[in-house]
Order: sequence, then C-alpha cells, then structure tokens
Amino acid sequence: MDEEPERAKRWEGGYERTWEVLKEDESGSLKASVEDILFQAKRKRYMSEGHGQVRLGMMRHLFVIIDSSRSMEDQDLRPNRLTSTLKLMEFFVEEYFDQNPISQIGIITTKNKRAEKLTDLAGNPKKHLAALKKAVDSTCVGEPSLYNSLNVAITGLVLTIYTLHMPAHTSKEILVIFSSLTTCDPANIYELIKTLNALKIRVSVIGLSAEVRVCTILTRETGGSYNVILDESHFKELLMLHVKPPPASSSSECSLIRMGFPQHVIASMSDQDAKPSFSMSHLDSTGEPGLTLGGYYCPQCRAKYTELPVECKVCGLTLVSAPHLARSFHHLFPLEAFQETPLEEYEGERFCEACQGELKDKSVFTCLACKKVFCVECDLFIHDTLHCCPGCMQTDRTS
Amino acid sequence: MIPKLCYFLKLLVFIILNNLILKLKLNIDGLLVYFPYDYIYPEQYSYMLELKRTLDAKGHGVLEMPSGTGKTISLLSLIVAYQKAYPLEVTKLVYCSRTVPEIEKVVEELRKLMDYYTKQTEAKNDFLALALSSRKNLCIHPEILHANIVVYSYHYLLDPKIADLVSKELAKKSVVVFDEAHNIDNVCIDSMSVNITRRTLDRCQTNVETLQNTISRIKETDAAKLREEYSRLVEGLKEANVARETDMYLSNPVLPDEILQEAVPGSIRTAEHFVGFMKRFLEYLKARLRIHHVVQESAPQFLKDIYEKVCIDRKPLRFCAERLRSLLRTLEIADIADFSAITLISHFATLVSTYSKGFTIIIEPFEDRTPTIANPVLHFSCMDPSIAIKPVFGRFQSVIITSGTLSPLDIYPRILDFRPVTVASFTMTLARTCLCPLIVGRGNDQVAMTSKFETREDFAVIRNYGNLLLEMSAIVPDGIVAFFTSYIYMENIVASWYEQGILENIQRNKLIFIETQDAAETSMALEKYQEACENGRGAILLSVARGKVSEGIDFVHHYGRAVIMFGVPYVYTQSRILKARLEYLRDQFQIRENDFLTFDAMRHAAQCVGRAIRGKTDYGLMIFADKRYARADKRGKLPRWIQEHLTDGSLNLTIDETVQLGKHFLRQMAQPFRQEDQLGLSLLTLEQLQSEDMLQKIAQIAQQA
Repeated sequence: MDEEPERAKRWEGGYERTWEVLKEDESGSLKASVEDILFQAKRKRYMSEGHGQVRLGMMRHLFVIIDSSRSMEDQDLRPNRLTSTLKLMEFFVEEYFDQNPISQIGIITTKNKRAEKLTDLAGNPKKHLAALKKAVDSTCVGEPSLYNSLNVAITGLVLTIYTLHMPAHTSKEILVIFSSLTTCDPANIYELIKTLNALKIRVSVIGLSAEVRVCTILTRETGGSYNVILDESHFKELLMLHVKPPPASSSSECSLIRMGFPQHVIASMSDQDAKPSFSMSHLDSTGEPGLTLGGYYCPQCRAKYTELPVECKVCGLTLVSAPHLARSFHHLFPLEAFQETPLEEYEGERFCEACQGELKDKSVFTCLACKKVFCVECDLFIHDTLHCCPGCMQTDRTS
Repeated sequence: MIPKLCYFLKLLVFIILNNLILKLKLNIDGLLVYFPYDYIYPEQYSYMLELKRTLDAKGHGVLEMPSGTGKTISLLSLIVAYQKAYPLEVTKLVYCSRTVPEIEKVVEELRKLMDYYTKQTEAKNDFLALALSSRKNLCIHPEILHANIVVYSYHYLLDPKIADLVSKELAKKSVVVFDEAHNIDNVCIDSMSVNITRRTLDRCQTNVETLQNTISRIKETDAAKLREEYSRLVEGLKEANVARETDMYLSNPVLPDEILQEAVPGSIRTAEHFVGFMKRFLEYLKARLRIHHVVQESAPQFLKDIYEKVCIDRKPLRFCAERLRSLLRTLEIADIADFSAITLISHFATLVSTYSKGFTIIIEPFEDRTPTIANPVLHFSCMDPSIAIKPVFGRFQSVIITSGTLSPLDIYPRILDFRPVTVASFTMTLARTCLCPLIVGRGNDQVAMTSKFETREDFAVIRNYGNLLLEMSAIVPDGIVAFFTSYIYMENIVASWYEQGILENIQRNKLIFIETQDAAETSMALEKYQEACENGRGAILLSVARGKVSEGIDFVHHYGRAVIMFGVPYVYTQSRILKARLEYLRDQFQIRENDFLTFDAMRHAAQCVGRAIRGKTDYGLMIFADKRYARADKRGKLPRWIQEHLTDGSLNLTIDETVQLGKHFLRQMAQPFRQEDQLGLSLLTLEQLQSEDMLQKIAQIAQQA
C-alpha cells in the first residue's frame, strides 16, 4: 500500500482551486485578474529595468535569513515549507554566484527565538550548498526572532566589510524568508530599522503566508522589496528576482576596486618541478584536504586556490576570472524591452520567431532592433534568461 | 475587454492626469458639484445622484453605503453645491454624527472642500460652518442662526433636553443628515427614557430643599421677582405658542402642543406651591420604589394610581418640566448641572402625563444578575423611537439617514414612522475582492457551531470555537478581532479555553487582549493590542458585540486582518424593557418579534465585521462562526455590500475549509496593489466618469429597496 510517501496523498493537501484560473466575466470583480496584475508586474519589471542608465551594485554582500520556526513545517509547499525553501535556496545560491561572480552570500537561520549563523559571508557556493543540504534534517521549533536574526546579519555585514576594507559602495543586503506571522523580539525592532537605514543595508522579505505589518515597514524603510508567495512557482520567481543586482544607492562615491586575475597554471605529472600542494581554501574547510598539482595563484602573494572566485586568504585580494566579470555584463546593458502590440493590430505571419508556435495571446511582442515577433512566454524567457534577442543574433551572423 | 489595451490606456490617463493635477468638477444631474479630490469612486457618483433626487423632491432618504467609500465628502460636496445653486431652497445643512472623532473627521473633509471652493471661485468664502464638538462650547447660540453648515452630535437634535437649547431655531429649509445612523432608533429611545433609582430620588430631595431655601431667601429680598413670574405664568405659554405657530422653533416632544394653549394650572403657579407639589410627587415615587416584586404598568395606570394615592392630577404633572425651568430661570440659578436630578424627575412627570401610548413603566426591586441586593429602579422606557424623531421629520424638508449598515432598508422607515422618497443601497466597486465573508457552521468533527442558548454550554461547541480561533491565529497576520455575544458568554468561554489548554496554544501565535466593562482597562488593552500588531508579535482582541469596541473603534489595515463573530449577537431577550418594546412593535408596527430581534442582531454583527474594512485598499476576513448565519433570513439581512461576496461556496464551512480559503485570500491580498490597478474600475477620473459605459454601470450600483 505504501507506494507513495505519506504526505503526497491528495486529501491531505490543500484545496486546489483549479477553477480559479478561469477568468471571470467583465463584471469587474476579478479574482482571476490578480493573476493578470501579476503578469503585468512581471513585464513591468524588465520594462523599468530597460533604461540601462542605472548604476548597479555589482559587488553584493547578501545575508539570507531563513525562518526555521514551527510554521515551516506547514505542508502547503511540498513536502513542507522548510524542505521546499532549502531546495529553492540551493538553486538560488547557484544562480546567484552565476550571475554575481564577485559577490558574497551568508546564511542565517532563526528558530526558538534565537538566530544562528549557518554560514559566514563567503564567495564560494560549495560551503553554502553543503550547509543547506545539512539543514534539511533540522527540526523546526518555536517562534522566529526577526530582531535577533537581523542583528546577527548586521554584525556579519559590518564586520566583513570593515575588516576587509571593502569600498563603501558595496551593496549590503539582507533577504528574509519569513514563514511565521509572528516574531519574538527582545527589543523594539523599529530602533533596529533605524540602524539598518543608517548603515544603508537593504532588507527584502519574501513572506510564505501573508502580509505582516512589520515586514512592510522594514522593507519600505530600508528600500527593499516585500512579496508574499502564492505558490511554489511564484516563490521561485520571487526568489529569482533577488539574483539580479539592485540599483546602487546614488550617494555612493565612485571608486576603483583592486582585483586579481590569476592564471590557471596546469602542471603536468611529467614536470619534475611540480609538487602537489594544498589549496588555501582548504584551510577552513572540514572536508578532506586534497593535494593538487595545478591551480590559480594569487598574482599578489602567490597563494594557491583551486577555485574562483575567491577572496585571497592572505592578502585579501578578490580573485576572479575574466569570464566571470563578463557574465555580469548583461546587467549593465540589458536587452531592451520589446514593443507590445495587440494581436488584432498585428499584420504579419502569426508565428513566434523563437518557439515557432502560433501566436494566440492577446498581444505580440516585437524586438525593436530586428523587428522579429515573439509570443508572451518567449518574450519573458528572452528577457529573464537569455538576455539577448535570438532574432538579432541571427541577423548578426547572416550579415 | 482587452486588459492589456486597457492597461495602457489606464497608464496613459494616469500619466496625463498626473501632469495636470486637477480636481473634479462634476455635473450631477445638471448641478455643478465641486469635488475636492482627483478621482471619484463610481459609488460616490451614484450616491450623489440619489441624494440630489431626494433634495429635489424635498423628501427624506435612507441611503446605505459601505464605510471607507467616502460617504462624508459626497454628502458635503453635493449639499454645499446644492445650497450654492439654490440658496432659497436649502438654507442650512445640519450634519449629525455620533462621536467627537467622527465630527472631527467631518470638519476635516469640510475644510478641504472649502479650500477647494476658495481656490476655484477665487472669491471670499461666504460660507460659515460650525462644529459643536463639546458641551462646553454651548454658548454659540446667536451664531448658529447664520451658519450655513452645522456639524454636531445626534443628541443636539434628538435629546429634548439639549435640542431645546441648541436646535430649536434651525430654519425649516434645512437639510438634516444623520450619519452612522444604524443605531438611531436606540438613540431616540434613550433620549426619551428615564431611569430613576433611589440615588436619583435622594439627590432630588436635596434639590428640592435647596430650591425651598432659595425661594424663601428671595422672598425676603426680592419678592417682586416671584410675583412677576407668577403673572407671567398666568399669561401662559402664549409666547412659545406664537413662536411655534409662526414656525420659528423646532417643536419639543417634551412640550406638547396642547399645553402651549393653556396657562400653567393654578396649583403649581406660585413657587412654594410648586415646590410642595414636587415634594409630594417625590414622596410618591419613593413609596413606589419600596417594593419586593416587579411591577409593570402603562402610563394611564400610573396616573390613576398617583391620583388615588396622593391626589396629583394629570394636568399639573404635564406642566412640570416647563414650570421647573421657569423657576430655575427666575431664581437665577447658574449651575443647572446641580439640578439634574430634579430636572430628570420633572421630565418624567411631563412625559408620563403627556403620552398615553409608546411608553411603559417597569419597577424592578433588584437587578436580574444580583437578586440578593436591593437596588430598586423605576424604568420609564420609551418604546417608540418615532416619538423623539417626529419633530425632526416633521419640521425639516429633507432628512437623510445614512450609514454603512442599514439593511434591511425597509425597517427604518417603519420603526421611525416616516415616508422616505429614496431608499437605496450602494455596493462597493472593487478592483480586487478585498473582503472575504465566510460562514463557519461546523467544526472538523462535524459538530454544529452555534451560540444557541441550548448548546452554548456544550463542551464540543466551545472546543470548536477554540480551535477556530487557534487555527486562525496561525494563518492571519497581525491583528484579529473576535466578538462574543455578551460579556458573560465571553468569560465562560475563555475560562473553558484556559482549562482545555487552547489559550496557551493560541498565545504561541499571538498575544491575547480582552475588552472589559471598565473603560480604562479597555483602552489600555486596545493600546497594547495595537502595539503588538505594529511590531510583528500579532495580537487577538476578544471583545463583545454592542460593546465600546464594536461601535466606535476602527481596525484599519493590519489592526484587523480578520474579524471573527462568535455566535449571533442577539440582545438579552429576558429583559422586561425589551419584551415590552417587542410587544409594542408587534402591536403598533406589525413587526414580528423575531424579525426585529434578527434585524437587531444582524445589524450589530454587520457593524462588528465592518470594523475591519475601512477602505478600498484595506482587506480582511469576515468570519461568521455560527451555522445560523447561513440561513436565508439571517444572511438576507446583511448589508448588500457584504452579501454580494457571500457565495454559496462560503456557507456552512468546516474549520479546515475556512483555513484553506483564508490562507488563499490572504496570499492574494498580499500581492502588490497600486492605484493604477484601481483606475477605471473602482476609481474614476472625470473622463472615465463621462463615458457611456461607466454611466450605465453606475446606474447598477444603487439598488432601490
């Protein structure tokens, strides 16, 4: 009988109101229109970003606070909120480093009125991923404490940034994934919000259940965003919003950052001079230290690392590879928004240039550069993931 | 409808309007109305149309529109515009509201409107508006004659004791508005009812003695004064009669027409005789209060009894109030407040001898709850609200009764005994469904949930109520307000929850605060409740329908994300006063007891749940936790704007289903919502307002009863 896991049974889950996707009539009372509003918001997002003149905080220091209180055991996300969140977080961490190669991330959990630092700010995804995997087995108990966890995050951010002499314009961010509707705080949180504001730390919140007033204030005062998830896919979408670097605060002065671009040295076994050596990043890892032959050597102090990007343990220089930097490029020069025209007004072949499907939606989207036409889905995909127009690429190649 | 196209148009309009910040000048059925906001809700437009029709017809109106949709400003801007356009038709606006904060809100809106007028017409504003917010500011009497707008509390117009001082010189061509008037019948009744305890009589005794001393002193020093008064009384109240006939005064229900024709009867004409008369009356009342069983009698019976026992005739009794007033004036007594007891008694005397119908006298030797403590009370209670309000309807050409909850609309004209020309209910047009009424009828164990008397002690019912609150506390953010049907019921349930450990579980999610009968305690609880909502801890306020919280306190946004109504808030039906009133309603107005009780319960329930939605950007769950709400006779008495959202799918739910629906709703509502999303649907610009489509839609908003 027990072929499927216990919690997968349909009757234990929430009511899936499949009929709600159906559009209501034009009476104006629009439950389905909430979805429409969301869609508009999605498009608006990249339309507003399409200006290209915004200075972005490319060098990010982000603390993610994950609520691990009792409410995370709720099964409205499969199999439960905690597991689902951690899985998405793994994806997020990978994506984050993919898109922000010169940034750092740290993870904090909060439960039982306390906050615990899971990982320190670091630029290497491996450690975070391991910590996240381990956290799946932890139990969810008690109430979260927004105050305590923010406090830990502030200390972490301030310490890292000042001990490592980071330039003032590095973007300091906190992302809270808040499942509970209550927080147990030792002191007045509004004082802490003032501190956050003074330190120019941006706090964003993703709520898993409903809109909580204190989060609204927190995000509004610190310039972050506040969203509440509708379901798992919406959760992922919201999380992915935080992959993109936020606009830098206008007051930060322009300054240069020292960076090292180490060459990858490959030593062959046949080379007699080559001796296997430890990498510096193994110093603080508990895993087995591996001896390797080649690696990246810091151009300043010759310390060896096996992976980039990393911050040199010896001289504190940020080591990156050129492709990493290049990947951040599209944030600065995003693809321009396509022009939206209603289907009736569009006269031409009714096929999407990208997916070759028939254009059935109410509007079509035209690339302003190559005049190719796309459907809604492809339009979103091109802007969110590809970051370049397939039509333009084709014309480039042919010409 | 092409949403994307509309969206672009919306944006376009929005941008244009943002550049040209202009306020609205509306054309309402041929009347130019200045409206001091950039946008207007469709229902406001509709409301103004109906209001205009009422004024045109010079009749009375009953208008129901949900709170938070700008009733006040619609009323003010239309009536002011009407006054400007037809200065001879409408000379004055009398705006009555309930509480001081409400009055202040009205004044604020009025100020906005006046600023806008000044800016637009660039002429000096010749409008005078006046607000009477506190009794301390009563000495504005001459001013009132010139003010174009008067804003004050109901009592100034309804309570005969105050109305006489303040409102009797209001011109006939005034428009009177009663805002938040869902309780107006009770205000009327209270203003005409008199409760006399032993304490009242004791204080009255002191009053009489003071009067006696003063009289004898004056007699020595200034006997002429008393003589003068005497001759004036012989002349009778001709003066007042002339005034009334020439239509200068609002008539006073305590001073009926007949007695104006006559002179004050000889037996109480001199001061000493009158004081002696009062003494006798007082002794009689004292004797009546010395009882051991409940007595209920009608006014004629009372009069007969008093005649037989102490030979007091009906006629001098009727002049009591007027005679006392004259005496107090003659004696030049400054501090009238000291004489409140004797004034009360004199009012009682006049009322009991004037009205043979519509009143009942109940003398109780003790309170029902404390049968061992002797505390005799004489209730002289008014059962007919139309008596107090009759002069208002009779005198003013238009009286508007309006509130967020007036359903069912036809009952107000019946119990207040007037014939309205417009009776309409307006819905709230919404860009998103921001209210979510749910009727929970069963627990997860399928046991019916109800506060019905037979089952209210039932363990399963109490536990299910507890579970409902527990589950809701886990899914609703910030504040929840829960209403019980009475203080006793609340105490029992909370005690039982404590024993079952439910309270402890709830406290893990939210803090719990309780409304008590003590005003200071309650306001403290409220303050802490709001603090807990503010800083993210979350809180639950347990309060009582008909209590202070349910009537006057708004729970905007996060202060009330859900309201739970435990049970149907029927009034305490064992009370003798209520029984008498129900009987009267049945005999005189053909309203069945049950209909009235249900109506009364449902208007309070609607008031309670309405506390959470205070505008279009606000949202909240409304949970009716009693299976009886699902019945058509209950459901049908809710205001239209709530009923509209009460689908068949939200009746008789279990706790689990409620939680699921609630969760879904709260997530939907947490999505970003901007002003542009409302534009064109529930928020209109002038251009949108003028389109044919919209005008047709607006026509559907108002539903004539």
